[in-house]
Amino acid sequence: MKSHDLIIVGAGLAGMRAALEGVKENVNVAIISKIHPLRSHSCAAQGGVNAAIDPEDDTSLHSYDTVKGSDYIGDEDAIELMCETAPEAIMEMDRMGCPFSRREAGKIAQRPFGGASFDRTCFAADRTGQVMLHVLWEQLVKAKVPVYEECQVLKLVTDPDGKSVTGVVVYDIKTGEVFPIRGKAVLMATGGYGRVYQSSTNATTNTGDGMALALRAGAPLADMEFVQFHPTGLRTSGILVTEGARGEGGVLINVDGERFMGKYAPTKKELASRDVVSRGEQTEIIEGRGRDGAIFLDLTLLGAEKIMERLPQIRQLCIDLEGVDPIKEPIPVRPTAHYSMGGIRTDKYGASPLSGLYAAGEAACVSVHGANRLGGNSLLDGVVFGKITGKAASEFVNSQEYRIFPQEAVDEVNKDIENLINREEWGIRPVELHTRLSSKMNAYCGVFRTPDGLAQAEEQLPSVRRDYDLIHLDDKTKSFNLNLLRALELRNIIDLAECIIKGAIARTESRGAHSRTDYPTRDDDNWRKHTIAMWNAETKSVELSYEAVRTVDNPRYVPKERVY
Amino acid sequence: MSIKTYIFRVQRNTCHGDNGKVDTNWQEYIIECEETTTVLTALDDIRDHQDSTITYRQSCRSAICGSCAMKISGKTRLACKTHVGIVARSVEGKEHQVIEVAPQGNQPVLKDMAIDIAPFFDRVIKIQPFIKGGDEADTEVHQNSYDQVNHVTQCIMCGCCYSECTVAEVSPEYIGPAALAKAFRFVSDPREGCKTARLKELSEDHMMWSCSRCAMCVEACPKDVAPMEAIVKLRTRGIQKGFTNTTGAKHALAFHEDITSRGDLNEFSVMMRTIGIFGTMGEIPTALHLLKKGKIPSPIPHKAEGIEEVRKMYDILEKNPLDVETKAKEVEPE
Repeated sequence: MKSHDLIIVGAGLAGMRAALEGVKENVNVAIISKIHPLRSHSCAAQGGVNAAIDPEDDTSLHSYDTVKGSDYIGDEDAIELMCETAPEAIMEMDRMGCPFSRREAGKIAQRPFGGASFDRTCFAADRTGQVMLHVLWEQLVKAKVPVYEECQVLKLVTDPDGKSVTGVVVYDIKTGEVFPIRGKAVLMATGGYGRVYQSSTNATTNTGDGMALALRAGAPLADMEFVQFHPTGLRTSGILVTEGARGEGGVLINVDGERFMGKYAPTKKELASRDVVSRGEQTEIIEGRGRDGAIFLDLTLLGAEKIMERLPQIRQLCIDLEGVDPIKEPIPVRPTAHYSMGGIRTDKYGASPLSGLYAAGEAACVSVHGANRLGGNSLLDGVVFGKITGKAASEFVNSQEYRIFPQEAVDEVNKDIENLINREEWGIRPVELHTRLSSKMNAYCGVFRTPDGLAQAEEQLPSVRRDYDLIHLDDKTKSFNLNLLRALELRNIIDLAECIIKGAIARTESRGAHSRTDYPTRDDDNWRKHTIAMWNAETKSVELSYEAVRTVDNPRYVPKERVY
Repeated sequence: MSIKTYIFRVQRNTCHGDNGKVDTNWQEYIIECEETTTVLTALDDIRDHQDSTITYRQSCRSAICGSCAMKISGKTRLACKTHVGIVARSVEGKEHQVIEVAPQGNQPVLKDMAIDIAPFFDRVIKIQPFIKGGDEADTEVHQNSYDQVNHVTQCIMCGCCYSECTVAEVSPEYIGPAALAKAFRFVSDPREGCKTARLKELSEDHMMWSCSRCAMCVEACPKDVAPMEAIVKLRTRGIQKGFTNTTGAKHALAFHEDITSRGDLNEFSVMMRTIGIFGTMGEIPTALHLLKKGKIPSPIPHKAEGIEEVRKMYDILEKNPLDVETKAKEVEPE
């Protein structure tokens, strides 16, 4: 049987950064990724990465902004750790060769971003994620880390008593082969679950696989109901227009040409935190001041030169995908599902309560983003917790022996695949069921959540699960069967949707990205706590419990009303 | 926007196990969409509602992950940023305009449009794509340090350039435009410590001097990387560092010498200076063939009229070296 001390699933920023840490700690580490590392969705992050590297700035200020941005449900120990590690993590990226944009004297340039009290977002034009991803891949090549490319993990395997992780069962997409890999620890860095939503800025590959695998293996997921809606997804495709566009001076206007954000965030306006801006936009749209379900991002006032220097790819995307040139006219945008604040519950070193399971980046809920993530903190989360968790997991495996890997796990996966392939020639295509579910998620678990909507979202769950058993595949072949892969991913999407819906129904308050029309205010007395979702294998459903927020006794972090 | 009917002619490829033999046929699908619908959206629609066996990679939908490069109506493009209306062609005997979809060129096919990406990435890895420490590493990075490499760091490794590369088509040993553009990024990075050693390796066979400068890579690149421009700059730097003992460098230098001294090429002596006397003798059959076709110019050196003008141009160019545009393109007002 193949074995690696540390198995990392996912090859975005967090996964690759963690692997490098494994190499540094002399651990036998390997990465498994369903797509080539350079195709990972970290590449789509545009605007930048936060770090208090300016002498005038302070990491404690960054921590404060992040606690406030999280709507006081982020874990304060983890937030401080991230913000304190940030400058070092950015300098490391710089030494690795990351081509950050520069200002006078060669200093790394920084731009203003939403919810931040200092201009602390480092960037490389409007393709920061892409250059960071490529630089980490370069280091991965240098370190000769083995990568199982285009391999999907189909099962997170635990020892027979279910207490410790012992490896994974892998499906090689290229060949159709199923094989086990034994490991002392598994680190999930599989990104978010944006594809639970039909309209999403996310890549089609963002199906939250690692979270669903962890859930079914008995690990807790936290805060799944907190889904960030990015204020500026393109109207038609949902493709992201960076917050950097507003950071550079772009404004939001409604169909009457009115700059409306002043009504919702008098001081910061367009640069309030994302939940605030998205709610402002959605209110404008609901009250009839949008057009075709969108409002407008006006960059024309920036001028052609600045757009071409700072936002060149954005301009091209708007031309290619929306038929609009931002130099000449405002861009139609709307709030679009963007980031999963929820994820695999971990401590501040990325360890989950399931022994040997670690998580980092968007797949994890450490939790540094709480109920709302600040722009520029996700790339940071990826590199900082990739590093911290990679180190913690490496130290863990150095003290462990390999445990028993139950062969039944492989048989079970093989049986699941055979079942899907050998279905009758009738039934539902995976995509039909996915669309049915994901469109309801947009309608009922979006920016604003109503009691009726949430009830409808929940009511459909049994029928969605039933219909999953009616799925049929057009493609019955072994090699590169993406039809089968979609069906397998869909199972993950359904499990995660249940966590989101149940969490949202139970949380009778409004906090960060979770906004209930029937409970419009934050309720710190009853709800300043994390939602924990666990899988009940007998009832095959999700059960909720709650966990206190980890605080550090800093008077600045005492919950206040969030005003921007 | 108006909805139109199009025919998607899709290449279906099945690879047979280890021997790599590929069965190819074409299948047609009819789809209604707008002219501005992307090819990827249209393909997804066909896959989702007509035939889920159609196989191709895709992920980000926004031209940044590099997954969906494929041949679309004869040219390699990213499906996610190509409008159907731009690539639809009228075909005799067909009721609707046709969009033809096939896998990238120069690379082994796995299934339909999915190619084996390993050989492409092996070439990129061969140039050692990472910053190396060494004596030549600069400790300071200037504000404009990246202007030179800005275009090459835009590369998303989609493989469009390699698919269209005319040298790769005949010479699988050639490292290819994407790898060389990546190499340029390191040669130009102030933090790189082994710039000269890299240039030496890049001067070897099947590396930078193998490019025929056909510019197909520049045209195919969806991210304005302009790999050929990077290759030209690499060559210049290689010669500046004294790596002139290669066929490519010798050829370039012989050209330069002839033009500056006489304003005209002496092709016979250019060949002598490039591949030497024995090499030239080996080319005699080709020369005879060309002679028959009347394509051999006079071997007697000849000085062009107005050579002073040429020298002046050289003089100006050498004092003001032209650099390719490395920043984002100028805005063209319509």
